[in-house]
Amino acid sequence: MTEISTKASAKAIKKHARQQSFGRRILRSALAGWGVKIGLLWVGLLVIAAVFAPFLANSMPIIMSKGGEISLPVLNYMTGEDFAVLGAFIVALLLWILPIPINFRLSLIVVLVAGVSAGVVGNIFLKAPELVNYSQFRSASFNEGVEWKVMPPIPYAAEDYLRDYGYRGLERPLADKATEDGRLHLMGTEENSGDVMSRMIHASRIALSIGFVATSIAMVIGVIIGGFMGYFSGWVDMLGMRLVEIFEAIPTLFLLLTFVAFFGRNLYMMMIIIGVTSWSGYARYIRAEFLKLRKQDYVQAAIASGLPLKSVLFRHMLPNGVAPLLVAASFGVASAILAEATLSFLGLGVVGAPSWGQMLDQAVKSSTFNWWMAAFPGGAIFMTVFAYNLIGEALRDAIDPHMARNSGVN
Amino acid sequence: MAESAHSSLLDVNNLHTYLQSGGEIVKAVDDVSFTIPRGETFCLVGESGSGKSITALSIISLLPHGIATHPKGEVWYNGDNMLTLPDEKLRHIRGSQIAMIFQEPMTSLNPVLPIGEQIIEALLLHNPDMDEAEAEERAIKALEQVQIPNAKGRFNDYPHQLSGGQRQRVMIAMALACEPELLIADEPTTALDVTVQAEILRLMRELQDTTGMSTLFITHDFGVVAQMAQQVGVMQRGKLVEVGATADVLRAPEHAYTRQLLAAVPENLVRGFKTKAPTPPRPIRERGPGGEGESSLIQTTHLKVWFPIKKGIFRRTVDHVKAVDDVSLDIPKGQIVALVGESGCGKTTLGRAIIQLEKATSGSVKMRDTELSTLSANEMRAIRSDMQIAFQDPQSSLNPRLLIETALTEPMQVHGIGSSQEERLELAGAVLERMQLKRAHLWRYPHEFSGGQRQRIGLARALVLNPAFIVCDEITSALDVSVQAEILQLLLDLRAERDLTLLFITHNIGVVEYLSDQTVVMYKGKVVERGDTAQVCGEPQHEYTQKLLAAVPRLSGFNG
Repeated sequence: MTEISTKASAKAIKKHARQQSFGRRILRSALAGWGVKIGLLWVGLLVIAAVFAPFLANSMPIIMSKGGEISLPVLNYMTGEDFAVLGAFIVALLLWILPIPINFRLSLIVVLVAGVSAGVVGNIFLKAPELVNYSQFRSASFNEGVEWKVMPPIPYAAEDYLRDYGYRGLERPLADKATEDGRLHLMGTEENSGDVMSRMIHASRIALSIGFVATSIAMVIGVIIGGFMGYFSGWVDMLGMRLVEIFEAIPTLFLLLTFVAFFGRNLYMMMIIIGVTSWSGYARYIRAEFLKLRKQDYVQAAIASGLPLKSVLFRHMLPNGVAPLLVAASFGVASAILAEATLSFLGLGVVGAPSWGQMLDQAVKSSTFNWWMAAFPGGAIFMTVFAYNLIGEALRDAIDPHMARNSGVN
Repeated sequence: MAESAHSSLLDVNNLHTYLQSGGEIVKAVDDVSFTIPRGETFCLVGESGSGKSITALSIISLLPHGIATHPKGEVWYNGDNMLTLPDEKLRHIRGSQIAMIFQEPMTSLNPVLPIGEQIIEALLLHNPDMDEAEAEERAIKALEQVQIPNAKGRFNDYPHQLSGGQRQRVMIAMALACEPELLIADEPTTALDVTVQAEILRLMRELQDTTGMSTLFITHDFGVVAQMAQQVGVMQRGKLVEVGATADVLRAPEHAYTRQLLAAVPENLVRGFKTKAPTPPRPIRERGPGGEGESSLIQTTHLKVWFPIKKGIFRRTVDHVKAVDDVSLDIPKGQIVALVGESGCGKTTLGRAIIQLEKATSGSVKMRDTELSTLSANEMRAIRSDMQIAFQDPQSSLNPRLLIETALTEPMQVHGIGSSQEERLELAGAVLERMQLKRAHLWRYPHEFSGGQRQRIGLARALVLNPAFIVCDEITSALDVSVQAEILQLLLDLRAERDLTLLFITHNIGVVEYLSDQTVVMYKGKVVERGDTAQVCGEPQHEYTQKLLAAVPRLSGFNG
C-alpha cells in the first residue's frame, strides 16, 4: 500500500520535475517572442501544405458518388511518397495529442517507421498510374452519372496543364480569359498553363524536405566527427580539423552542378550532397563545446564513476553541447532551401516536379515580365528562409543566459 | 545636512534597496543604517546573498536604474545624498572621491591596455587639468605605493603579465591614484591565496594610515574582519542584525545569527570538536619515502605530472610545467589526509592523478598494491567504483540536464550495484537521506538546489558506489561558513561509519586543523612537509609552511 502511494507520489514529483527541465525552460523562453511565433506559424503552414498537398490542390474530386457508389479518386492517384508523408504526420500528431508517456527519441523513431511503412504499403497496394491525364476529370464522360462530388479547394493538380482548354500559356491572376472559361487561378498560370498556386503548394514539399533531410545528414556527420575531435583532442582533433578544412574548401554549389551533370537531376542526390558538404560547421561547433565540456566537473565525475564512453559522450556531454547546434541547424535548413532554389533557378533542379526556384527561373526566362511568376515563389522562399532565421535567432537568444530576458526576437 | 559632515564621512540611514526580478520584488537591502568615521574601516560581514555587495553598490548608485529602487533611506556623503544626486555629480564623486575595488582581479582590468595607461586614464578623467607627464609620474608613484617591484619598468606591462596578487595591487593603485576619501573594497582578497591575502591586507592598512582615507570593507571571512576593521556590521537577508566595535562583536556577539556564524568558523569548530569528542587515538606510523607499510590504501612513488610547453612551427616541446614533481605519498586506510598549498601548487593535479583522471608522466600510483597507471581503460573502469572524487564548484559538478536520480543510479547500474532499478533507487534515496537531503530530491534537477545542497549531492554521487577512497577537491571553499561546518561534520561522521579514506584538498588551514589526521603541504609541485596535523600546524618545520600558517587571518586575537 504505502509502496504504491510513494511510487505514485514519486511519479507526480517526476512529472513536475519534467515540466521544469532545462529543455523546457529554453523552449518556453524561445517561444516567448513575436518573431518566433510568426516563424513557426509560417513553417506550420508549409508543413500542412506539404502533407496535404494532394488534398489541397488536385484536379480530381476528393470524394464523389457515381451511380450510387462512393469513391475516393484522390486516394487512387496518390503515390507512395504521398502516403509516407501522410502516415508520418498522422502518427506524429497522435503522439503529440494522446497522453502516451514516450520519450522524444522513441517517438522520432516511431514517426519514421510509420512514414516508411505507409510509403511501402502505399507503393505495393495502390498502383498510381505513371502518367495521369488530368483533363479526363473534367471530361463529360467522367462526370456522367455523378450525383455529387467534393473538389479540393484548388481544383488543379500541379502538373495539370489544362489540355482540355487548349494552350493558354501565361495568364495573370484572375485573368478575364480564365473567368470566361469558368476557371479560377488565384495566382495565375505559368507558361505551360499549370496553376501557379497548386504548383506552389506542391513545391513546399521539396523545400521542406530538402532543408530537413540535408541538415539532418549534416548534423549526424558533424556531431560524430566533432564529438570525437572534442573528446579525444590530440591527434584525432588534428586529423579531424584537416578533414573539416578540406570539406570547407569544397564549394557545395559547384559540386552539385557537377553531380547533376553526371547523375541527372535527382532530389535525393541533392539532399545527400548538400548534407555531406555542409557538416563542417556543425563539427566545429560540437568540437568547441566538447573541448569545453570535457573539463567540466560533471563530465570528470562521470569518467571517475567508470561510466562507459558511450554514456559519457552521448548522455553527459551531447545534451549539454547540442544547444548551439540547434541554432546552427535552423540557419542550415534555410541555406539548404536556398541551395535547392539556386539550382532550380539555374535550370538544374528536379525535372517535372514543381519547385519555387524553378518557377523563378521561368519568370526570368520569359520574354515579358510576369510579376506573379516572380512574386509568389520569391516571396515564399524569402518567408521560409526568414522564418527559419527567426526561429534560429530566438533559440540562440534563449540559450544565451545574457540574452534570455529579451529572447524570441521582440 | 551639516550634521553628518563633521565626524563621519559616510552616513547610511535606513537604506532600503529593492530589486525587481521577473515580476517579483526582492528586498535586497532592508533598513540598513551605519556610519563610517573618517580614517576608519567598517567591515560588512555576511553569507552570500545577504546583501553586502548590494549595499555597497547602492552607496555609489551603481545599480541599474530600471531594476533597483530605493523606496526609503538616505546615503549622506560629505553632505550630499548619493541616492538623489544627478548623474553628472555622481560621476564626479565616483572614482575621485569614492573608489571601489572588486573581487575578481582577473577580470577587473582591461586586458588589452597596459596597466600604466589604465591608471593614467583614471587620473586624467578626474583631473582634466593634469598634463600627461605629471599623470605618468603620479601613476608610477601609485604603483610604488602598492609595492609593485620595479614600478617604472612594469608600467607598460599588460595585465596578463602580472600575478593575481599584483593585479589586485594595480587595482588598488588605480583606486588610490585619485586620492579618494572613501574606498569600497568588495571582497578584495577572496580570490587570492592566504599568503598574498596577508600582504594585500597589510598593504591596505598601511595605505590607510598614510592617506587617512576611510574604508568600507566587504568580506565573509571573520579572520579578515579581525585584522582590518574598527567597526563591523553583520548582515543577514538584507538586514543589519548587529553593529558594533569589532572587538565587542567578535568577543561577545549579541545577536544569535552572529553567534552562529562565529561558531561555524573552522577555527572555533576545532575547539568545540575537541571538547565534545576527542579524536580516537589512532596509531600513526612514521613515514618516509622508503617506509611503505601494508595498511596504506593509496601509494604514489615518484609521481610526476608534467605538462609540455610547445613552441614554434613544429610544436617542439621546449619545457614542462611541472604540476606534480616527484611526489611519494602514502595514504593510510581510514584516515583523512589534508593536502594544502596555494593555487597552482599542483594539489588538484595530484588528486586527479591519483584517481587516474590525469595521466601521470612517470612514477606509479598503487591502490591496495594494484598498480593503476598501467591499467587499460577497461580494467580501470572496474576499479573506479572504489575511488571517487567530489569537486569544488557546485555550479558545474552536476549535469544540468539529468535528474538527480539518473546521476546517482547510472553509475550504480554500470558497476552492478543493486539488482533492479527499484533497489538502486532505494539505495540512492538512503544515501540522500544520509546526506540530510530528502528522498523526493531524486526527482529534481540540479538547478533547483542551493550550492550547499549540490555539494551534498556531489558527495552522495561519490558515496553510492561505496568507495574506499574519496578525493575531496576543495569541496567547501565555495560555500558559506555555516554550510561548510555542516558538511565537514558530515564528512567526519561518514568516515567513522564507513571507514572511508579521504584526501581532502584545501587551502583553508582552519578546515585542515578541524578535519584532518594528517597534513601534506605542497609547494610548486613538490611535497615540502607532511606529518600529523597537530604537528604540522603546531610546529611547522619548512619555511613555506611557516609562512603559510603565519598568513592565515585568525580570530584568536579576540577570542583570547
